[in-house]
Amino acid sequence: MSMMAVAEQTEAETVAEKKPGGKALWLLAPGVLWMVLFLVLPMLMMVYVSFWTQTTFKIEPTLTLKSWVTFFTSDTYLGALWTTVRIWLIVLVATVLVGYPAALYVGLFVKNKALQTVLLVLCVIPFWTSFLIRVLAWRPMLGKEGAINMILMNLGITDAPIEVLLFSELSVIIGMTQIYCVFMVGPIAFMLGRIDHSVIEAAQDLGAGFWRIFRTIILPLSMPGVVVGAIFVSVMVLGEFATSAALSGRKVNLLGNIIVTQVGSLKWAFAAVAGVVLTILMGAVIAALLRVVDLRKEL
Amino acid sequence: MSTVLQLKNVTKAFGEMRALDGIDLALPGDAYISLLGPSGSGKTTLLRVIAGFEDPDGGSILFNGKRIDTVAPHQRGIGFVFQNFALFPHLSVAQNIAFGLENREVDAVTDRRAVEGLVKDIIALVGLSGLEGRAVTQISGGQRQRVALARTLVTEPRMVLLDEPLGALDANLRARMRTELRAIRERCGVTFLHVTGSETEALAMGDTVLVLDSGRIAQSADSDTIYNRPASPAVARFLNCYNLFPGRLEGGAFVGSAGRFSLGNRPATRATQPAYAIRYDRVAVRPREAAIGENEVRVEGNFVASEYSGAAVNSFFTLDDGRVFEVETHLSHAAPETYVDQGRYALVWKREDALVYA
Repeated sequence: MSMMAVAEQTEAETVAEKKPGGKALWLLAPGVLWMVLFLVLPMLMMVYVSFWTQTTFKIEPTLTLKSWVTFFTSDTYLGALWTTVRIWLIVLVATVLVGYPAALYVGLFVKNKALQTVLLVLCVIPFWTSFLIRVLAWRPMLGKEGAINMILMNLGITDAPIEVLLFSELSVIIGMTQIYCVFMVGPIAFMLGRIDHSVIEAAQDLGAGFWRIFRTIILPLSMPGVVVGAIFVSVMVLGEFATSAALSGRKVNLLGNIIVTQVGSLKWAFAAVAGVVLTILMGAVIAALLRVVDLRKEL
Repeated sequence: MSTVLQLKNVTKAFGEMRALDGIDLALPGDAYISLLGPSGSGKTTLLRVIAGFEDPDGGSILFNGKRIDTVAPHQRGIGFVFQNFALFPHLSVAQNIAFGLENREVDAVTDRRAVEGLVKDIIALVGLSGLEGRAVTQISGGQRQRVALARTLVTEPRMVLLDEPLGALDANLRARMRTELRAIRERCGVTFLHVTGSETEALAMGDTVLVLDSGRIAQSADSDTIYNRPASPAVARFLNCYNLFPGRLEGGAFVGSAGRFSLGNRPATRATQPAYAIRYDRVAVRPREAAIGENEVRVEGNFVASEYSGAAVNSFFTLDDGRVFEVETHLSHAAPETYVDQGRYALVWKREDALVYA
């Protein structure tokens, strides 16, 4: 008996001393190779191309700052940058405002785990149709003779159709909020679901009312979910071009739309500049969001 | 002694399961009360109903003479210490303790100095000085237990409910926290209602011990009475120190599958199910052929195994009806004897030591 125990102990010690070195590192090889070939190299290439010389139909590897200067002196490009930031902020706030209460309901007030899962799956159902259909479906909803205007007029709430509903910044915001809201609901509901119910009961027992408990316990404990959701939504909204193309009637130009048009007219250097700017913007946003909550501590 | 908490015919059912089946009890102020019950006896439900986390189906709860069963939990003024402590994971030790003072709806303390003073005092009382700024994830189980207690006590409840408060601690710490909990309670002068599934803990800690059996209070008495005169066979079973025999009374003797035990003139305790109980440590093990005295009762059994626990040895015998019979021998008055495996022995006790329920 004691012999066996000793044998087990030495075995445990040798296992503990082994480090994930040597052969285990090979497990990373496919991933690293893939990322270097298809992520790191293209990004470096993009930065490099942004300094190439662009003529009307040709691009030459002669280094110049011309594309960068054009980008930062043109009202069109700076306007697109500003529109991108503005729409991103509005959509981010809108997804939190719409998503947080829904997540609060699913994650905290639905006690049955199975029902929780069902409700979260319901949120994902719109994703069973293609992105394009989901975006275009807003047109018959929001148009001048669309569903919303028809209902409002038939109910006598408005006399004339509200034209600002479609082909405006508003329609882009409505569409994006609907599409990306679920990416906010999921992480928040997950974090809320992890809150031990007795913690909330303890706060109640100590005399705090619901709003106090929400502000001091529930909200801080769900912040990691808000941050993860915000990262998802930010990355997707900042890189958006399809929703604005389909719903704004070309009135809203995001950086993503600029890149699409520039690539379409073979202006690779300009597209690369816009791409680098967008990448830096996303990096800054993610870094700022990660400052709010230490995710390593939470997950 | 004044009554702090009174429950009258409180019932609570979950579907078909009657968790509380007409609870009547009155708890005195400034006392340590332990509530003993096996798992599933409804003890956690009882605490949650008193605290307000569950609504009772019927009956009334009076706290300081006022009905509270319709009052929201955060307005009841009853403290609750959770088994898993339920500390706020994102707050420090001091912030956890200050939570109730700063955030309660009634009489919140807004003066920061006052909060700091009260927190400091209670931290000293429970012995946590020096850990104020620590995160609650960075302290040991015993320290967390103290934070949970301090967090409740600082709000000065007139009564504290403790749901298996020592269950999450290791054995060593558990023994130390027992004395500590009693000392802390005496310093605060409030009533503690301590729920536990451990009979030793219940007997050691309670000024009064309540025994809960399938949704009802089976007995309410001091530890000595509970231990020596359990009110029913069920209570005797929870105490985990009685050999119990089912059977019936028949002309001055108790007759069951294990044999016929003469009773002498000992009166039987009233109970719904007849039973005969003899405490483990009241039984002597003798050679099979040894004679017995006039007022002694005897059964025969085969030795199976024994368990050494330091101050005592518990020996297990199987009787002829297959029942396991346990004998506890205290080593302070006898050296441990060795019994032959599967050997047959006489198990003898005085008939007035037995408890009879009929």
